[in-house]
Amino acid sequence: MILVLLIVILIAGGVLAWLLGRWSAMAARIVSLLALAADFVLILFLWVSTYERLNCAGQSWISEFYLPWIPQFGINFHLAMDGLSLVMAGLVAFIGLAAILCSWSEIRERAGFFHFNLLWNLAGIMGVFLAVDLFLFYFFWELMLVPMYLLIGIWGHENRNYAAMKFFIFTQASGLFMFIAILGLYFINARNTGFYTFDYLNLLQTALEPAEARLLAAGFLIAFMVKLPAVPFHNWLPDAHTEAPTAGSVILAGLLLKTGAYGILRFVIPLFPQASLDFRYIGMSIGVVGIIYGAKLAFAQADLKRLVAYTSVSHMGFVMVGSFAANELALQGAVMQMVCHAVSTGALFILAGALQERLHTREIGTMGGYWRDAPRMGGVALFFALASTGLPGLGNFVAEFLVLAGAYRVNLPITVLASLGLVFSAVYGLWIIQSIFHGGGETPAKVGDLSLREMSLLGAMMAVILWLGLFPQPMLNTVKASLEAIREQTGLTQVGSEHLREANSYPHFTRSCPPKPAGQDVPMSRSTGGTRATPEGGLRLPANQPIGFLRRQ
Amino acid sequence: MSDYNLSLFYLLIYSTTVVILVAGMIILSYLLGGRHREPATGEPYESGILSTGSARLRFSAQFYVIAMFFVIFDLETVFLVSWAISVRETGWGGFAVILVFLAFLLSVLVYEWRIGAFDYAVSGREILKSIRKAKGI
Amino acid sequence: MTLVELHEMIPLLILGGAVVPLLLTVSFYRNLKLTVALTVLIFIAAFTSLFFAPKPVRTDGSLLSMDGYALFYIGLFLAASLVVALLSYGYVRERKDDCQEFYILLILATLGASVLAAANSFIPLFLGLEILSVSLYVLISYLRGFTRCIEAGVKYLILAAASSAFLLFGIALFYAECGTMDFKGISEILQIQGMPTPLLYAAFGLLFVGFGFKLAIVPFHMWTPDVYEGAPSPVTAYIATVSKGAVFSLLVRFFFIMGAHQYKKLLFLFSAIAVASMFTGNLLALRQENVKRVLAYSSIAHLGYLLVAFIAGGDLAVEAAAFYLVSYFITTLAAFGVVAALSGGERDADSIEDYRGLFWQRPWLAAALTAALLSLAGIPLTAGFLAKYYLVAAGMKARLWALVIILIINSAISIYYYLRIVAVMYAEPDAGQNAGRTAFSSSPAAGVALCVMTLLLVWIGVYPQTLITIINAVINYAYPF
Repeated sequence: MILVLLIVILIAGGVLAWLLGRWSAMAARIVSLLALAADFVLILFLWVSTYERLNCAGQSWISEFYLPWIPQFGINFHLAMDGLSLVMAGLVAFIGLAAILCSWSEIRERAGFFHFNLLWNLAGIMGVFLAVDLFLFYFFWELMLVPMYLLIGIWGHENRNYAAMKFFIFTQASGLFMFIAILGLYFINARNTGFYTFDYLNLLQTALEPAEARLLAAGFLIAFMVKLPAVPFHNWLPDAHTEAPTAGSVILAGLLLKTGAYGILRFVIPLFPQASLDFRYIGMSIGVVGIIYGAKLAFAQADLKRLVAYTSVSHMGFVMVGSFAANELALQGAVMQMVCHAVSTGALFILAGALQERLHTREIGTMGGYWRDAPRMGGVALFFALASTGLPGLGNFVAEFLVLAGAYRVNLPITVLASLGLVFSAVYGLWIIQSIFHGGGETPAKVGDLSLREMSLLGAMMAVILWLGLFPQPMLNTVKASLEAIREQTGLTQVGSEHLREANSYPHFTRSCPPKPAGQDVPMSRSTGGTRATPEGGLRLPANQPIGFLRRQ
Repeated sequence: MSDYNLSLFYLLIYSTTVVILVAGMIILSYLLGGRHREPATGEPYESGILSTGSARLRFSAQFYVIAMFFVIFDLETVFLVSWAISVRETGWGGFAVILVFLAFLLSVLVYEWRIGAFDYAVSGREILKSIRKAKGI
Repeated sequence: MTLVELHEMIPLLILGGAVVPLLLTVSFYRNLKLTVALTVLIFIAAFTSLFFAPKPVRTDGSLLSMDGYALFYIGLFLAASLVVALLSYGYVRERKDDCQEFYILLILATLGASVLAAANSFIPLFLGLEILSVSLYVLISYLRGFTRCIEAGVKYLILAAASSAFLLFGIALFYAECGTMDFKGISEILQIQGMPTPLLYAAFGLLFVGFGFKLAIVPFHMWTPDVYEGAPSPVTAYIATVSKGAVFSLLVRFFFIMGAHQYKKLLFLFSAIAVASMFTGNLLALRQENVKRVLAYSSIAHLGYLLVAFIAGGDLAVEAAAFYLVSYFITTLAAFGVVAALSGGERDADSIEDYRGLFWQRPWLAAALTAALLSLAGIPLTAGFLAKYYLVAAGMKARLWALVIILIINSAISIYYYLRIVAVMYAEPDAGQNAGRTAFSSSPAAGVALCVMTLLLVWIGVYPQTLITIINAVINYAYPF
């Protein structure tokens, strides 16, 4: 029930904000803030109350909601939350709060409708992270596009129509391929079992021909790689980020890109384990190309927001590498990177927005020497630039380190190339600081420093990054069980633990779970659906066997 | 040759004949027809006298209305006659049907009368009204 | 004719019979409000009578079969015509005095459409088609004062007459080969023959020319943009919905009874037409500057989508087509309803520029149009999304991979031109643009109709189960094929 509430609060808050916005812009802002704060509190409550359960591997959903929607097609309104979706949902609420606070003074025109779109977009994203019915997932996936389109198209900058249209067409068209893949899976499952269902847990058991699996996986991957964005499909992102209003950029970078990564983790790998192993090196290579190419392009930009947009491409490459490396460390690193990138890049966009609000330009060439006038802003920018470069002690370092450590076990050359990304990010990160806050500039304009609102917002974001950098364990514990389940699907569990001896490196993982009776070894099973195939004895490979086996043979 | 192909073959012959015939008519008339272009080619022949005015006449719209009425009521007789010759076979059911048919026609007639379709001449009252309107009386 | 048969035909009798008193009323007492009220009453009465239809007895060789399938579509046509009647009230009143006949023609056209939905033989088929067409000729050119209306009417008249000739020729070939006009009879003869003779293939082809014209699918689509643009907006809505829906329902019935799905050549022909329609419609719509023309081209594409379900065949296809048509009806009526509501007395608000900043001036109308456009594009929360899902599912089930992929590609292309209109609506309004828009006078009737359409659009998009249940229940009430 609490899961529906998370979405309903946002939807209702959006409508209310629109209605109140006709009367007063401030009312709309406050209503949206309250709605998101309520969501945030709910998620925190969920987290705290289920933290113990989350720590145990192989646990079922921590919360679930089930309602028949179109029973004829086996479509259900089925929401469920495990550790991974809990983290993502928390991220939605947090980044959503940031988006509203950062547009507090930027959006003066039509604030009601702005907040309506913002909240509905967040509701769609929230739905994407919670849905475990594939039809519902696609429903939310598409639903979040229209509000974002309007956010960019109405409140964006000069070239907004072009950017909004490009964003929409890219994501919609790629989503349709995923839709076909979903339907393909649905019909293949129905052909095998005679039972029409879109339910995630049931579809997990679908037996697929390798060729079918590869085609279907490709359908999903197209959608997710466009969102991520992986390199050949990243085209829409710089335009959309640059032209969007600050809140739009924050949500785009912080949340929309994460839906793609989440999709790969939640759907592609578990649904098509063999296919994703086939795609493993291609996927990792695409990730590496993204890391290097994004970094290179970022360095070449003259437009601040465009620069930050390209750093997103670079950083999301790590997520791609981590997801496809698909061992314990790499997956944890990918999730960590999703969270840290959301916060740090979100903060950079907020700073870019703040600068633009003060200077009415995003041209880096015209900036310089603002540290004098705005030391607080400079300090904050330095912090996030360093976070972005992966300074030890900050969350991004942990994330990238985990990804690289994981990828190292899979493929050395790719890892070496990926680690170049750290070097490049230092280059552009420091370059931002140098050219905007240091140096003289010709005639540096006066810049007002950060206000109390901005400062407290960015302060909270800094705290999150520091927390993740210094004590990431709670976060890792939260997602552990879900990632374990994902890896179990791929049949890589044994190999991974052989290599990493995770029990030694992470003593937390093995603590205080109630011993499970035999035969209860079925994680995440649901009474209405079937049970998922457990890794059978025959699949437990000898430790030195090469990777690349499927649960069904 | 099987039946199937044979009939296909007939169809082919039939359609080629149609195409050739039509094409032949057009092409022949194009080839054989005289073509010349002098100053007076496009003008109507008036026994050497230059024509005045347009050759196109405008008929009063009433003309078409009458023509349409003729067609409609002519068709009515077609139906009536076909009923009349089978009046015994169709019996009372047929009688009821033809009554409905006549009722429809009658109501259409009433409608036409009311919208003034039978006012062949321009009514004097209308003219007076428009004159009054023009003078602003 | 037995009493049972008469009982079955009550919906049609109400439509046909009520026209005469209405005509007499109009000839003695010209009052637009009264006429519209009576028209609405007639539609409601006919609609209500559908619920009291007797369980049809299957009698082979009957001209009309009022089975569940027919009842469903007749109900749909009646509802759509009712909406058109409401939408046109303010629109026509503003442009023409004494426009009571408009409604008589509307009822007649609906009668023709209903006959088509129930036709079980070539005779009612042609009868229904001609009642529909002749009424449409007049409806399209109803506003004689506007040259574009006349132009559209004449174009439609000539092409429709030509297509009727093709249709008749096809029917004649069927009769020559099979010696019967009855669908069932023909299908039995086809069964015996095993493979249709070339003459029958030709007959199918000619018949399809006639249908294709009405459906405006690709080689026969030329008239669509001009007629859509020239006709009064409510009439355009009517052509886009009822006229096409009637012919499509007939097409499905005809080809299912014929078992035409076993003839690969025909299916190939349909596939080619579907692909051509999708691409032509969507690509040509990209560069249009006129909203009505955009909608015209989009309707060509949508019929192409619909053909995918038709080609797929099977139970799911019948259901998918019904669902798609319902959602398409609602969407199209909403879209043209907004166009009609915005149009001033001088000309229709059909240039895209007329919509600049609409959202900030008339948020409700703009919201309705946005919902309609998004539904046409197949975005969730609208009926169009689930309708497209239905089509794709039907196609996938029949393993029409190529067609489904093409459908997907096209639906991606189509987003551009739908969004273009949406973008303009949400852009900054130009100064001094309100001048044209103040001329608009909406009638509350149109407002209510639009509101209901938009709500239905969203309702079906969120909770389609009701509609699916209705479709299943009614169509299976007496499954015809």
